[in-house]
Amino acid sequence: MQTSIVRSSNWPAPGRTEAETQESAILTRGLTKSYRHNWTLKISRGIEDLNLEVRRGEVMGFLGPNGAGKTTTLKLLVGLHKPTSGEAWVLGHPIVRPACRKRLGFLPEQPYFYDYLSGIEYLEFAGQLSGLGGRDAQTKAKHWLGRVGLGERATLRLRKYSKGMLQRLGLAAALLHDPELLILDEPMSGLDPFGRRDVRDLILEQREAGTTVLFSSHILPDVEILCDRVAIVMRGLLQRIATVGELVQSGEQRIEIRCTGNPELVVPPALADCLERRIRPHETVFLLSRDSRLHEVLAWLLQGGVDVRAVTPQRASLEELFMATAEGADVTHADERRSA
Amino acid sequence: MTAALIARNTYREATRDRVLAGMTIAGVVFLVGVQGLTPLALGEGKRLVVDLGLSAISMLGLLVVLMVGTSLVAKEIERRTIFTLLSRPIARPTYLVGKWAGLAGSVCTIAALLGLALWLVLCARGQASWGPAVLQATYLASLELAVITAVAVMFSALSTPVLSALYTLGLYCAGQWSYDLRTLAAQFPPGLRAIIEALTNVMPNLPLFNMRELASEGLTTSPLHLGIATAYAALYCGCVLALASAAFESRDFK
Repeated sequence: MQTSIVRSSNWPAPGRTEAETQESAILTRGLTKSYRHNWTLKISRGIEDLNLEVRRGEVMGFLGPNGAGKTTTLKLLVGLHKPTSGEAWVLGHPIVRPACRKRLGFLPEQPYFYDYLSGIEYLEFAGQLSGLGGRDAQTKAKHWLGRVGLGERATLRLRKYSKGMLQRLGLAAALLHDPELLILDEPMSGLDPFGRRDVRDLILEQREAGTTVLFSSHILPDVEILCDRVAIVMRGLLQRIATVGELVQSGEQRIEIRCTGNPELVVPPALADCLERRIRPHETVFLLSRDSRLHEVLAWLLQGGVDVRAVTPQRASLEELFMATAEGADVTHADERRSA
Repeated sequence: MTAALIARNTYREATRDRVLAGMTIAGVVFLVGVQGLTPLALGEGKRLVVDLGLSAISMLGLLVVLMVGTSLVAKEIERRTIFTLLSRPIARPTYLVGKWAGLAGSVCTIAALLGLALWLVLCARGQASWGPAVLQATYLASLELAVITAVAVMFSALSTPVLSALYTLGLYCAGQWSYDLRTLAAQFPPGLRAIIEALTNVMPNLPLFNMRELASEGLTTSPLHLGIATAYAALYCGCVLALASAAFESRDFK
């Protein structure tokens, strides 16, 4: 699979109007964050020249291996980091203004809370900080504690909460004030399968309600289920943005042909470059990498008296595509280093 | 409004801290225990009680500021609880002001409790009329602690807890000796004298908040002194927090 690197410095077009920044939930233009080591003064790249647009109402997955720049990007968007250069807008406001975070819900990776507070106290506090009135914050805190399954532990101090419970509480705190935009950093990490399912359901519910969601994750099956579009970032550079369907379709299309028994057929040289044979107990599986040659392969099998049981097209999983993108980025990086 | 919410939460954190509660109780026990030393004071028992009592308020307050204030912001960054605050519509200066107000409120509460305990001890000795002097001295001690809290919050926002504690303690000592430093500056050639005087002006003028001498005689100070001290504390805290905010504004939280 070819990897196209999205680094065009002229996208979005220079001179975006105010209206265009309003249309997007998130818009970044040349957003760059680099870090300078205090002692060695060596500069390391967090994220470079990021041009990203998240449309209102969509769910976007932000993928990349550890250290790729996902968390850096999310922290830039929520104001925890200051950009080295470039611009970004959240819900139409420049990220440097605290007002942009009024309708924003953020769940950090491994959220930490004030352990001297109880669950209900924390949520009330969080709601009021996001602009809710005292009574409104109290009502919503109770509602969301129940919604994330912590209703019975409302008065328990947070130091007694488990990791999964803290993750749920963090999610409740992010959703408490009905945000227009949710930014979630690894929302499924540290959760058991039930917790993961609950978080998935919550994100789907938010999508139904029209909330824009940007989340980073390593759990690719969840990304595949939840996301409208996926952005893949490697070594601080945005590599691809596409819908899950586009990504999967652009990948290798294989066809699996399952046959009964182990026929004594030898793959002819004309098909050897696209047909792979795998012997399994009680059956033989042929993997065809070019669907244009399906008729040819089926004709050859039927002529040989093979009992064909199933012909199944197989699309590449998001995980395979992700790995291929990562390998592509490695090659590009090695080339860059060589040319340097 | 947002600063008040953060202040309330910081106050709640301090008041739920068992160490601080223990220190306050220890302070009260000390004030009562000072009674045992009065027979050794050769007729100066009241003076001893007030002097040691007011010193205890200042020292205990300073200890709380060094223990809590110098790690106030650094601890939030280290524990990443700051993520859940600053990802909300809160300006960083508002956050710092809220943290300062919360801790200053807690320290002033401790000072007020100890001041009340001191007055009750004096009442038990038949010196209830010394109440206004104790009240004024406690008020000025609270202002002094609010100034030191602002300094601690500033260092905490920019450095590690240990370094913040050292810097805060250093500035506290320098502030206490600011009059002596001014006298010392007069001994130096004009150039060096100007530098030392400028540095002394930057340091907090802490002797302004010290009326232990007067209070230990049962005397009160003038409203003008109280007004000037209040205005100076407000101005100094404002300047320190503004400086802290400017430096804190560009900080990244990893």
